[in-house]
Formats: sequence, structure tokens, C-alpha cells
Amino acid sequence: MGSLFRSEEMCLAQLYLQSEAAFACVSELGELGLAQFRDLNPDVNAFQRKFVNEVRRCDDMERKLRFLEKEVKKDNLAIDDTGENPPAPLPREMIDMENKFDKLETEMKSVNSNQEALKKNFLELTELKHILRKTQQFFEQIILTKYKKNNNQAALYQQDQETHVPQQYDDETPLIASEFSRSFNRFGFVAGVLMRDKISAFERVIWRACRGNVFLRYTEIEAELEDPHTGDKVNKYVFIVFFQGDQLKSRIKKICTGFRATLYPCPETPQERREIALGVMTRIEDLQTVLNQTADHRRMVLSQVALNIRVWLIKVRKIKAIYHTLNLFNVNIEKCLIAECWCPVVDIDRIQLALRRGTELSGSSVPSIMQQMQTKENPPTYNQTDKFTSGFQAIIDAFGVSNYREVNPAPFTIITFPFLFAVMFGDMGHGLLMFLFALYLVLKENRYMKHKPEDEIFKMMFDGRYLILLMGLFSIYTGFLYNECFSRSINIFGTSWNVRAMNFTDNDVFLATNPVVTLDPNKPGVFRGYPYFYGIDPIWQSAENKITVQNSYKMKNAVLMGFAQMIFGLSLAFCNRRHFKDKLTLYCELLPQLLFLCALIGYLCMCILYKWSVWTVAQSNTAPSLLIGLIDMYMLTDPKSNNRVPLYTGQYQVQIFLVIVTVLCVPWMFLSKPYILYKRSKQKKGVRLDSQSDDDVAILHHENNDANYGKQEPESFDMSEVIIYQAIHTIEFCLSCISHTASYLRLWALSLAHSELSEVLWSMVMHTGLATSGTSGAILSFFVFWFFSSLTVSILLVMEGLSAFLHAIRLHWVEFQSKFYKGEGYIFSPFSFTLIVEGKVEE
Amino acid sequence: NKVSSFKIKLENGGFLEGLVRGFKNGISKEDYRHLTQCDTLEDLKLHLQGTGYGHFLANEPSPLTVSVIDEKLREKLVIEFEYIRNHAYKDLATFLDFIKYSYMIDNIILLITGTLHQRQLSELLPKCHPLGIFDQMETVTIASTTADLYNAILVDSPLAPFFKECISEEDLNEMNIEIIRNTLYKAYLEAFYDWCQQKGGATADVMCEILAFEADRRSIIITINSFGTELTKEDRAKLYPRRGKLYPDGLLELSKADEYEAVKRVSELYAEYKPLFDGTGNNPGDKTLEDKFFEHEVTLNVNSFMQQFQYGVFYSYVKLKEQECRNIIWIAECIAQRHRAKIDSYIPIM
Repeated sequence: MGSLFRSEEMCLAQLYLQSEAAFACVSELGELGLAQFRDLNPDVNAFQRKFVNEVRRCDDMERKLRFLEKEVKKDNLAIDDTGENPPAPLPREMIDMENKFDKLETEMKSVNSNQEALKKNFLELTELKHILRKTQQFFEQIILTKYKKNNNQAALYQQDQETHVPQQYDDETPLIASEFSRSFNRFGFVAGVLMRDKISAFERVIWRACRGNVFLRYTEIEAELEDPHTGDKVNKYVFIVFFQGDQLKSRIKKICTGFRATLYPCPETPQERREIALGVMTRIEDLQTVLNQTADHRRMVLSQVALNIRVWLIKVRKIKAIYHTLNLFNVNIEKCLIAECWCPVVDIDRIQLALRRGTELSGSSVPSIMQQMQTKENPPTYNQTDKFTSGFQAIIDAFGVSNYREVNPAPFTIITFPFLFAVMFGDMGHGLLMFLFALYLVLKENRYMKHKPEDEIFKMMFDGRYLILLMGLFSIYTGFLYNECFSRSINIFGTSWNVRAMNFTDNDVFLATNPVVTLDPNKPGVFRGYPYFYGIDPIWQSAENKITVQNSYKMKNAVLMGFAQMIFGLSLAFCNRRHFKDKLTLYCELLPQLLFLCALIGYLCMCILYKWSVWTVAQSNTAPSLLIGLIDMYMLTDPKSNNRVPLYTGQYQVQIFLVIVTVLCVPWMFLSKPYILYKRSKQKKGVRLDSQSDDDVAILHHENNDANYGKQEPESFDMSEVIIYQAIHTIEFCLSCISHTASYLRLWALSLAHSELSEVLWSMVMHTGLATSGTSGAILSFFVFWFFSSLTVSILLVMEGLSAFLHAIRLHWVEFQSKFYKGEGYIFSPFSFTLIVEGKVEE
Repeated sequence: NKVSSFKIKLENGGFLEGLVRGFKNGISKEDYRHLTQCDTLEDLKLHLQGTGYGHFLANEPSPLTVSVIDEKLREKLVIEFEYIRNHAYKDLATFLDFIKYSYMIDNIILLITGTLHQRQLSELLPKCHPLGIFDQMETVTIASTTADLYNAILVDSPLAPFFKECISEEDLNEMNIEIIRNTLYKAYLEAFYDWCQQKGGATADVMCEILAFEADRRSIIITINSFGTELTKEDRAKLYPRRGKLYPDGLLELSKADEYEAVKRVSELYAEYKPLFDGTGNNPGDKTLEDKFFEHEVTLNVNSFMQQFQYGVFYSYVKLKEQECRNIIWIAECIAQRHRAKIDSYIPIM
């Protein structure tokens, strides 16, 4: 079955790279993405490593690029994405890149600071313009009040409306205003601009600090102004404060600086104000042209950047990744770097080719050498996946990454997982909806692959799209078997039952008066003699005892399926043991386990199948109960002695034999392995001391990797530990045979829950709509349908689907994998540019 | 019942508490060891990238300075705190505001002292802690007396209630400001303590312990610092926050003290504070009393994380983060000034 069945064969290789060729070689390996480098300087701090300066230079380049990217985004320019994947540039090109980025950054910064200065200037002028305009209004209003003394109140009202003076000033205003109009020139004033959110606090502080001896007016600037530093739009107010005396003036100015208000000189006479305003207008116009030119220049620089920035970023990231990798190497020998990496055995040729390419590229004359090493360490687990299998592999890896070269359950999961799910989720309609949803995801795959979905839940579903597709497909199939489509049955092949054949006295009257009739399959003609062509007969849909019949049927099915999967798990364990040449476990553990399971549960399954196939309807009154039979078996009672009908002749003898086998298996499992280990350790004690002095890296002439793996015994043999370990395992297995079988009954329970829930939804919701006749029925059905469909999706598809999914996961992780799967390995994470550029790996 | 009470607690800041527990993870003991081995600030930056601080310095151009690191550390804390504050409501919001008030007090005092020394506002502002910034803050420079300060500026700031005790028509001077600071702090601590007490539950258990220590620490430090100044004993006694373990007897004794030994004698009557005075002194190798206090504070704050569903974690989070930042800055300073002898005297956070 190739690499899906077991993880790839790995080997530890040592690379001798010439210092000048190392960069190019690592770059080639990064493109290839098949080697996982080991850290050869684990004791060295990050900042004490050899290539830390280069990493730092890359960091700096990245920073500059981020700055440029931010500027590009600020101007809403589209970043060019051609999907191009540039190779990592050589180290000598790094200086060019650095210079280029540096130049761009300084240019950008100078443009920015220019622009900021100009904008600041512009802002000041605009503010001044607004001040002149608004204060003009203030002054005019005051003069207006002078002429309209008689109608004082009305004018003030109008004035209030325009300038938003709060009500509390109502008492003061007339007084001050009238005084003001009389002695207009005796007052000093300060005008300025303030942020909108500060105005109320400002007003209160001014009022309190000057004890009410000032007169404040303010109004909003309608146009939004731009903050020159951040570029944000801000709202500001123009205010003007009238006061008397110098002390107040300095105090007000202090408050203004405290609130960061900008003050502007404002002449007192209207003529002067008008003149200044004219001057300001022309200056604003000039400035606008200059600003436009700067913006054009900026845009020009940035459009260049936008064109290339993606490629640059990839290049820098690649260089940085290479130097990070080089930092893992051993640099103690001159002119040569030593690296160690795990790589798949089948790809050694490709790696060597990449090394040769790298050496050629760098122009080095001495070739890079790759040498395989023997090691006692466990290699990483590398399961090659594609877009279809990755979802299933993820379910397995979530439980635990398989040991090196252990049987990988993923390929079987592809079928068993959706199947067990579907047993619990059997409904054609629901399955079809699920299938269509997954089909949509699969068809739109390319689009979603390109633009990664942001939503985490959606992303999860997208990653498992093939899983959901199969789940939907299998649900349609099991729904067909259960003959359920949104809880309704479909009569395709014609039912095998015939009500008329019951021959009630006066058939029609009897049927009309009795809501419930009993069909007896023993009467000739009532049951056709052969069952419904495929799946469950639709007549059961209308039967009163539908649930009772289906329960018995589905329960037995669950036990059968559970047994099949557990036996399959055990046979995979056989594969494992044979692969690792661990005969001891095979004969002392697995064999008794298999016998135990078969004698206990296997026999029950045999009985179920036997009863289904041999016992007929005619004998249904006398058919023995399987449960009682099982109890009898372990009570060692002969069914005949209790006047019970045996299932088959010789049942008692067979059962006695099986019980003996079961009981014998327990000590076999428990004692044989520790005993043999004990014997072996006694033998070995004399002949030790041949392979002691090895650290984990040194090259060792050991036996074959695989054979070595299975036999990793503890150095010192501890009998009590072995016995305890074995006892735990024995007890666990014996108990789990029962409990795991019982656990498979969840297949029945969930399936029952699902069909009952959809039944309830149909009869309580959809049925009420359809049962109403006439136009009102049509309208009702229309609305009820929305209710029905949304409940179907939210409860039956999402919630029930999720619960069936979780139970299916549990059946795989606990009941199935516990029979053979260790899951104590670690995953192979190669040094690969594709992963790094996509940001999937933190360096 | 358990579930429903859990749910209520969740609604009452459980999400934020979880967040804070996540934010807490910063620098491990191992990391400190590595940090002290750095040769340059660039090394420091490289190493900090591997800790909970992540890439907070990634966008700073070389060469780095200590002040940039300081600014960025503070910025990170403020962003995290403001995020929590923006998501808090009801009691938790009040509690978080209480944490902010202490920074407001510091800022006001800083500004007044600065103005007194004829410093420009623009020069002072960057030194203010961003957590303690409020609308009227920058105008405190116009006030010449405390009455002025209260009536004109602080009356509608959140600090107003704490100000009642120190209103006078006296002109502001150095001595005055110190007294204002301590009176404010006293009022603040007492208010905070009472609030936590009234809140009750685990919050009261945890916070009262921490605030009581804070109060006692202030009392002790005020006493020690007052020796040789013109502060009278009666005035001094008025500055002691009356919520600590020393209240009332200890404070009475403390108010009579006029030398360091007397303070020590008083404190040694209290089991919590006795170890803090042991082994302190000015000899080389000894820790200063201040450092001992910091260590004790860290212990209390770390303990506050042991209890769930209480507000103490928010306070402790801020304090521990501040301590952590101080540690980083200390190490950074030592590296920058090539003064490695004292690089190990940071306060480790367990």
C-alpha cells in the first residue's frame, strides 16, 4: 500500500558543505523541502551564533519592506501578485538589496517629512482661514445686537442657535454682549482652534479658572481637517475668548497650551481681517499645487514599490530562513560546515542532486558530501499527504503522531470514518444536503485556496471538505438502507407485505373501523416470502412497533460492526509486530488477545448471524434469546436443563470449550511475556558490554534500524515493573473487550436519536402545514417550510452532524486505535520555503 | 447551580480575566538569565523576540536606545490595558479606573513639580505615564495654590474626591507638593481599599492584602524619608494611609519615630514585615529596603493569580508587568552603560 500504509523510511544524513557553497546548497534544499535539519548547537544562545549578523540584516530589510508596504497600503495602491516564486538570491546580492531598500526608505521618509511639513503648513493656513471667517461672524453678530437693541432677545436667540452656546450662559450673555457693544475696543481677545472632543472640558476650565470673567464663543468647522502626522481626519472647533487685562490673558494662553489649542493672530478691524484672508487664500492655492506635486512624486515612488514588494519580501524571507538554518550547523571545522538532517530514503537522490546544483551555482570546486549515518534515535514520522488524504491524516495526527514506521490508520479511516458517521447519521435527505455543501467547497477549491478564508470555522470545514463529502455520500447510502429521507420512507420496489391477505372478516369494514391491524407473516400471502429488495421495507414506516424492531436490528448491527473493526485493529497490530519482528509480543500478547476477543464477542456475533439466517418466522415463538444464551454460557448452564430451546445442537459443548479458551487466555496474556523477558535477561547478563560507549550522534555499527527499534529494552531489567505493566495491559484489554463492544452501541443510539428527531420535526412542524387544507394550508405550508428547513439545517445537520462526528472520532481514537496504535512519534517538519513563505512556519 | 454561578462570573469579566492570565506570560527565569548575558541592545532585542513580548521592537530601526525600548514596553502595556478597559463594564470598569487614578496622581505631581522648576510643558508631557492622562491634566500648570488647582481644574476630574484634605490657600512649593502627593495617595488608597472591601468576596481578600501592604509601605517610607526635613511629626502622622496592618498601633508608634532603628523596631513587631528588614543595609551584597519591598509586592501579586473570579488579577497584572518592564529596562541600562556588575539585581517574578 506504499507510503500511506506506513510512514516514509527516513535516514539521518550528515552533510559536509564547503563554506562558500553552503548558502546555495541550503537554498536548493529549501526549494526542495525534504530535509529536516537538527540543531547541532543547542547550548548556544540565539545571539551568539555564527550568522546572527546576517539574520539581523535580514530583519532590518524586512522592517524596511514592512514600512514600504504600509506606505503602499496607505495610498491604496494594489500590491502586484503575479504568483512568481523567485529563488533565494546569492549572499552577494544581499548588499545590493540592502542598498536598494535603504535608498527607497530614505526617499520615502524624506518625501513623507516634506509632505508632513507642507501639510502642517496647509493645515495652519486652513485653520487661519476658518478663524477669520468664523470670527467675522462673531463680530458681525455683536454689531448686529447693537442695532437691534430693542429686539435684543430675538437676535441673541438666533445667535445661540448658530453658535451652540450652552444654556447656562443665557443669563450672562445679554449683559456682557451689551457691555461689549458699548466698549468694543477695551477688550482683548484670543482666537484659536481646538479638537472637538476637548471643547466642553476646555469651556469649563476656562470658566472656572477665570472665575467667569471671560466671554467664550465657539463654533464648529464644517470641513474635516487632516492631521498632518497621522493622516487621520479630525473635527475641530474655532473659538474666541474675550477678556480684560493681561493677567487673564496669560492665564488663558496657558490653558490653551494645556489643551493643545493652536492660537492664531487675529486683527481687530474688519478691513485688516479681510486683507489677511485674501492673502491666506492665495497662499493656500499655491500650497495646494505644491502638495499635489509631492503627492504625485510619492505615488510614483510607491507604484514602483508596489510592483516589486511581494518578490522582495519572499527573497528576504528566504535569505533569513537560510541563515537561520545555517545557524543550526556545526561550524567548528574551518572552511566546512557540518549539518545533520533527517530525510526520506526514497528522496536521497533528489537531495543529492539539489546539493550538486547548489555547489555548481556557487562555483565551488569541492563537491558537497552527503553521508548516511546509523543512529539509535527515533526518526520523525513523515506521511505524505495530498489534498484528499490530508483531512483524514489530520484526524489521526490530532490523537497522536504515529511511531516511526508504525501502521498508519489514515487510509482505513478514509472509508471507516465516513461509514461509521453515516451509520449514526443515516438519512438520504440530510446526507444529500451535506454532500452538496461539500461538493460546493470542492468545486470552488481553487478559489478558496488562493484567497484563504479568514473565518476560523469556515476554514476548518474547508480543510475537511473531502471528509464531509464522503460523510454526505455515505449518509445517502445508509439513509437508503434505513429507507429514510427527511424521516419519510420511499417505496421503490414495492413492499413485501400484503394487508389484504390477512383476510379479516369483511375486509373493508374491518380496515375502516380499526386504526391498528396486526399483520401475521405466518399467514400465507401476507409476507411475500422474500424481503424488500434493498434496505428496510417502507411498510415499517407506518408500523406501531417500528422502533422496537429497528432497535433490535440496529443494536445487533452495531455489535457486528464493532467486532469487525476491533478484529481489524488487532490484525493491524499483527502487521506491526511482524514488521518490527517482535515475535514475543505477537505470540504472548496478540494471539491470546485475538482468541479472547473471538471467543467472547466473536461467538456472540456468530450467534447473531446464525439466528438471522437459520431461524425463520414460523419458529419465532420458540426462538431462544441471545442475551439469556450468553448469560447461560458464562453460568455454565445447559440450556436444556432449564427447558430452553438451544440455538443449535451441541451448543452447550461448544460454549464450555469457548469459556475454557477465554479463561486460559488471561494467564497466557499476563504471565508468558514477563516470564520470557525474565529468562532472556538472565541469559544476557553474562554477554553484555559490547555497545555502551556511544553518544547519540556518533556513527555506530549497529544492526538494522528497524530490528533495533522494536527491541529497545530498558538497560536494567526490573521484574516488578514488567509485571505491573503487563498486569495493567491484561486487565485493560479484558475489560475493554466488553466496554468497547458496549461502546459501539452508540452507533445504534445516535442513529435512533437522529431518526426520532427528524421524525418529530416532520410531524410537529411540516405535518401541521401540510395537514391544513385550502388556501390557508398553502400559505401556512409556505411559512412552515422556512421554519422546517432552518431547523433541519441548524439542529439536524449542524448539531446532530457534529455530535455524530465526535462519536465517530471517539470510536476511531479509542475503540479502534487502542488495539494497535501507539502514536508516540513526532512529525517530520522539513525545511521548506513554500511553508515559510506562506507563513505556516515560525522560524 | 455551579454552572449558573460560573456563568455569572464569566459575564462579570471572566473573558477579560482569561485574557489577562494570557497576557501575564512574559519572561521566564531562563529568559532573564539569557538577557543578562547579552552584549548589546541588539542582542537583547533578538532574545526578547523569543519571549512573550514577541516582535514589539521589530519596526524600530537600529541603533536601539534604552528609551525606545522603554517607550515600546510601556506602549504595549497601555494597549493591553486599554483593550481590557474598553471591554469592561460596571464594577470591573470602576476597579480598572481605580488602577488608573494612581498614575493620574503621579502625572499631576510631575507636572506641578516641573512647572515649579520652570520646565516647558512639551518637555514634561512625554514623561507622563500614558495610563494617567486625562483631559484637564495639562492645564494644572496654571494653578499657583492648591485651592486654585482644585477649584479650577481638578473639580471635575476623577481625582476630585481625593483632593478634599489638601485644599489650602498656600502657594505651591516643593514641600507642599510632596505633602499633596502623599495626601492624595492616602485618600486614594483608602478609597480603593474601602471599595474593594465593600465589593467583598475573593476580590476583597486579595486586594485588601495587597493594598494594606501598599499603605504600610508608604507609611514606612514616608517616615524614613522625613528624617532631617522640616516636616513635623504631627504633619507626618497625617500622611499615613490608615488601612494597613500597622493601623492603628503601628502608625502611632511610627509617628513618634525619629531614626531608622525606631522604624525598624516598630516594623519588626509585625510578622510580615520583619523579614523585609532583616539583612537590609548599605553594605555591598545587601539588598536595599526598597528592593525588599518590591520583592514582597511581587510575591503578593503573584499570589493573587492563584485565585479565580476576582479583580485582583487585573491589578496584579499591571503591577507585575510594570515590574517586568523595570527589570528589562534595568538590564538594558546595564548593558548600554557597560556596567555589568549590578546587572543581576533585578526583581525576579516567580
